[in-house]
Amino acid sequence: MTTALAQKKKVRINGCVASAQAAKYADVDVITAYPIRPYTATMIALAQMVANGELDAEYIVADSEHSQLSIAHGASSSGARVFTGSSGVGVQFAYELYSPISGTRMPVQMMIADRTLDPPGDFGSEHTDALSTRDMGWLMGWACDAQEAFDNHLLGYRIGEDRRVLLPQMVCQDGFFVSHITTDVELPDTGQVREFLPDYKHPYPLDPRRPVSHGPQIMPEQGPPLQLERARAMEGAVPVIEQAHEEFARIFGRRYDPWIEEYMTGDAEVVFFLQGAHGVTARYAIQHMRQRGAKVGLVRLKTIRPYPTDRVKDVLGRFAVVGVIETNLGLGSVSSGGVLYAEACAALYESAQRPLVVSFMAGMGGEAIVLKEFYWMTQKMLEAKKRGKIEKRTHWVGFED
Amino acid sequence: MPAIKVERQMLPMFASPNQGARFYNPELPQTEPFVPGHRTCAGCGPSIQYRMTSKAAGDNTILVGPTGCMYVANSSYLCTPYNVPWAHTQIGSAGSFTAGVAAAYEAMIRKGKWKGPFPNIICEAGDGSASDIGLASISGALYRNHDCLIICYDNEQYANTGIQASSRTPYGGMTTFSPPGKMVPEAKSLYPKDLARMMAAGHPHCYVATASVGYPIDLMNKVRKGLNHKGAAYIMIYTPCQKGFVYETPRSIDLGRLVVECGLYPMWEWDPEKRKFDYSFRPQNMRPVSEYLKLQGRFGHLHAEHVATMQKFANMQWKMMGVELPDALVRAADVKNVRDMGAAQAAEAVALTV
Repeated sequence: MTTALAQKKKVRINGCVASAQAAKYADVDVITAYPIRPYTATMIALAQMVANGELDAEYIVADSEHSQLSIAHGASSSGARVFTGSSGVGVQFAYELYSPISGTRMPVQMMIADRTLDPPGDFGSEHTDALSTRDMGWLMGWACDAQEAFDNHLLGYRIGEDRRVLLPQMVCQDGFFVSHITTDVELPDTGQVREFLPDYKHPYPLDPRRPVSHGPQIMPEQGPPLQLERARAMEGAVPVIEQAHEEFARIFGRRYDPWIEEYMTGDAEVVFFLQGAHGVTARYAIQHMRQRGAKVGLVRLKTIRPYPTDRVKDVLGRFAVVGVIETNLGLGSVSSGGVLYAEACAALYESAQRPLVVSFMAGMGGEAIVLKEFYWMTQKMLEAKKRGKIEKRTHWVGFED
Repeated sequence: MPAIKVERQMLPMFASPNQGARFYNPELPQTEPFVPGHRTCAGCGPSIQYRMTSKAAGDNTILVGPTGCMYVANSSYLCTPYNVPWAHTQIGSAGSFTAGVAAAYEAMIRKGKWKGPFPNIICEAGDGSASDIGLASISGALYRNHDCLIICYDNEQYANTGIQASSRTPYGGMTTFSPPGKMVPEAKSLYPKDLARMMAAGHPHCYVATASVGYPIDLMNKVRKGLNHKGAAYIMIYTPCQKGFVYETPRSIDLGRLVVECGLYPMWEWDPEKRKFDYSFRPQNMRPVSEYLKLQGRFGHLHAEHVATMQKFANMQWKMMGVELPDALVRAADVKNVRDMGAAQAAEAVALTV
């Protein structure tokens, strides 16, 4: 096998193209596409790469997202490295397949560029599409910019295809805020990728020379061990994820904490807790608010499955007030707001120092969260700190005084 | 790296005429990719078909099993009757999962990641999957022309779930979702979806055929033709279900012949080269539909008018195949010459007790 001599290079691309580039660097065998904005741009880029002969892969235009994921399942079951993706209602049209894919332990990779569900169905980013699948046995995390998205794809394959894990991955980025905003992305040398990401070899593929049966019917009493195995694979992924990030830092020179990014939290009294692209605007807003004397910081969740419970407990336990910025819909949920709140609170339950936690419904419909709103939310957190009590569990930002 | 050429298999045809070798043929391969010991019902048409199909395909084969009897009854309790790789997939994923397997092998062989001749990739979808919930996925696989064979094992109902009507359930067929009653004495009032012809018409580049377990050698040759055809192939196979059709279990093969002899299951092949239907298959006899209906409990409630209606339907199918109708069949389509099925009165009484 010859290693291409291409050097590392900086290019200016958006999140969708960064994902397509990552698939190309991962030398995927089968790509399954179905159009829906905004993730479509990834598949447009890949179609061109295949047409140009830059990437040798089967490029399949599926007849629906359900078929997209089924094709991915079949291809992965046969031993191919597979790339697929979707957005919004497309993610949900394929819902049936999420459990079978993780249940048969096939490390399919799916790129998500979030989009609101219907309603409102607009092109903006709400995380509800992917989050609704969060308990289906897929590794899952959000990138906040195009570089991180590119890196997360390579990390995803490396972690998911590890024999100790063998789980599918949802590599998520916010629609538009990441998927369609152009930034500098460093593309690696293919030799680096080959070193980081070995060929995919499933231990039990559908191979006529070594016949196996995948997914036979079982008795109820045979179910629990299967479910336990899947749960253990998810737990067992934790050290593999940490190891992969170490290797990644060594080979590519970019070091990420796999679980949590902290920004200006050293002396912070109140912090925002969120996922994805709003982390970028939050950093900027925090700089402004710091100038005005507010001791505010940011804790960004990078991986939500497996959930870093102890890290969340230890990190969030250091602050007086935590404001969860949801960007997702959990209608009738424990906070009557979003779903991130409940998990943050559950992680904190065992903490000796429990902060006040409040949920902010912001960025809904894919709206940008503007500076003014960050100020307003900070104010609410500072008031809660002073009062020693939250005003209410959930604030719909922009609908209150 | 230069792409590696994909080598395809070419399976020889069995020389026997299409109606010969009913019980034994020394030419048949010894291999049994589908072994006995599974949990299908006695006389199960789909599993008889499964054995023939996989025998014809041989060992370099991968089977895909969307949810249905051939998944649930075969792979029960972590046992498996499959001597070749087999994977379950969702009932709506028949064509798509199969396409994924085919695409994976195209890419893996081309890229040097798997060495050997391209395997036979066969999907065994029940008619519920093939005519209803998985129709689009199968159409997608045929349209994109993946090198695979998709089989609809047609037992004319959702049998695994306890006998419910599918788009393939014939007019007059009683199922738990189409019971006879005062308002609908005929039970199922809709005609079956013309599934295989729809597949041929919509995907003319594919090899498409119909077959029946009543004609094993014909069935196996069609399977081999489908596998030899480079690209997608589709075969709809009549596979009676003792549980749903309600007949004596040794008569599965008889039903597989009678359904053809009565004109209710036209046998044909679609030639993708000539873009033509080949209707040259002729059963040894032609019979009135009542000969077929009277063996099955699911038609026991039918009145003379319904039997005549079915005969009219059968006569249209004969005409479609270019067969001249004998007078007897024309007369059999006239209600005056037809009698109620034996259980018609009893069925009415039973319906009233619910």
